[in-house]
Amino acid sequence: MENIKNENEVEIQVKDLDLWYGENHALKEVSIGISKNGVTAFIGPSGCGKSTFLRCLNRMNDLIKSCRIEGQIFERSKNIYENDVDVVELRKRVGMVFQKPNPFPMSIYDNIAYGPRIHGVDKKEIDGIVKQALHSSALWDEVSDRLDSSALDLSGGQQQRLCIARTLAVKPDIILFDEPCSALDPISTNKIEELIMDLKKDYTIVIVTHNMQQAARISDYTAFFLNGEIIEFGETKQIFENPQEKGTEDYITGRFG
Amino acid sequence: MVREKYIQELSLLKNNIIQMGELSQKILQDSMDAFVELDLELANETIKMDDLIDDKEMAVEISTSRLLALQQPMAGDLRLIMACIRIAIDLERMSDLAVDIAELTEKIDGGHIKPLDNMDRMAEIGGDMLKNSIKAFETADVELAKSTAQEDEKVDKLFYELWMELMDMMAKDPSTISNASHLLFLIRYLERIADHASNICESVIYMATGERLELN
Repeated sequence: MENIKNENEVEIQVKDLDLWYGENHALKEVSIGISKNGVTAFIGPSGCGKSTFLRCLNRMNDLIKSCRIEGQIFERSKNIYENDVDVVELRKRVGMVFQKPNPFPMSIYDNIAYGPRIHGVDKKEIDGIVKQALHSSALWDEVSDRLDSSALDLSGGQQQRLCIARTLAVKPDIILFDEPCSALDPISTNKIEELIMDLKKDYTIVIVTHNMQQAARISDYTAFFLNGEIIEFGETKQIFENPQEKGTEDYITGRFG
Repeated sequence: MVREKYIQELSLLKNNIIQMGELSQKILQDSMDAFVELDLELANETIKMDDLIDDKEMAVEISTSRLLALQQPMAGDLRLIMACIRIAIDLERMSDLAVDIAELTEKIDGGHIKPLDNMDRMAEIGGDMLKNSIKAFETADVELAKSTAQEDEKVDKLFYELWMELMDMMAKDPSTISNASHLLFLIRYLERIADHASNICESVIYMATGERLELN
């Protein structure tokens, strides 16, 4: 498919990306430009490649032995698949929040301080970073009086916001969300959605979601994946009101999937 | 899994609009016949038919709000629902105008002051516009919607010509003022009916393409 033009400043430019798991050709010539300070959503049926593609954006697929990748992903004009790329540094810059909240079995404070500490941040700065990250993740008011309590005592929604705070603490440019609300109740989901919309002021956000209404509510751009290809990519309001491809129309109107 | 019940409800909604369109055509035709022939019985029957239109409009409103609340329609489905909401309002207004025409029948004192050929022509074009706009809706036919909306120009032209003629008639012969003023209302109603048919065409184009066009 043609490179997709994007009028806004592009933070991530993907060119002709192919990915195989062994013999399985899971992503086929994917090209897309992801806007800086926007929310881009990936939708599509299970197994369409959207999470696989998300994991390419910070080279999480490197951890899978059978995985082979061709093509280029440019972030800050640098192809992240070049041999000289520091993957640890890349994942610091491109943070990730997963489907199920996964706090470390330690205090709320230590969960957030963990990243800055291993990246060698000065001890004196850490208090400020923790506080800032908790404010940014809209969790401060709920936990400020119990930072030493175990993170595992928080509710699911709070744990997920803690994971977001943990990601923010290492000061990323890009945050990848892989179905961040699928294990949460509607009120917690609402809070995470509000948070994502707020965070895009300072970060570039990419989110994989099975919930199409969620994609419609919070994203600026939407890409529809099917069988490892991007079938359609455009402004969210256009994709949900007037998709140009029949496959997109059929999927979002529930004709299949 | 295909959403069968949902798709069935969308289809029912579409059928409701088509039926409402057919009913509006009948009301318009009968009201005009009643007025031209000064047939009070037919006029009264036509006025009663307005309740049927109101019922249909209510059915469309209930169905669209329920679909929006429960099914979160998207893309073409969403545009169909938006179009149905708008078209139902236009059809209801058109029927009200047709009823207004029927109600004029009893106000005519004596007989008509002039032949009504051109008024009939306006009603005929308006009726065809209504019929074709609903046909365009049924088949999502953008070209038919566009050509139908263009017919409005003919109605507008007749309206202005008749307006001038009636004004002139009243100035020359004040005894015609009462009946001529009713004819002024008649042509105004017919002109508005054609406008509503144009609106339906705009809704059809939005439904079919997502484009929001101002046709007249």
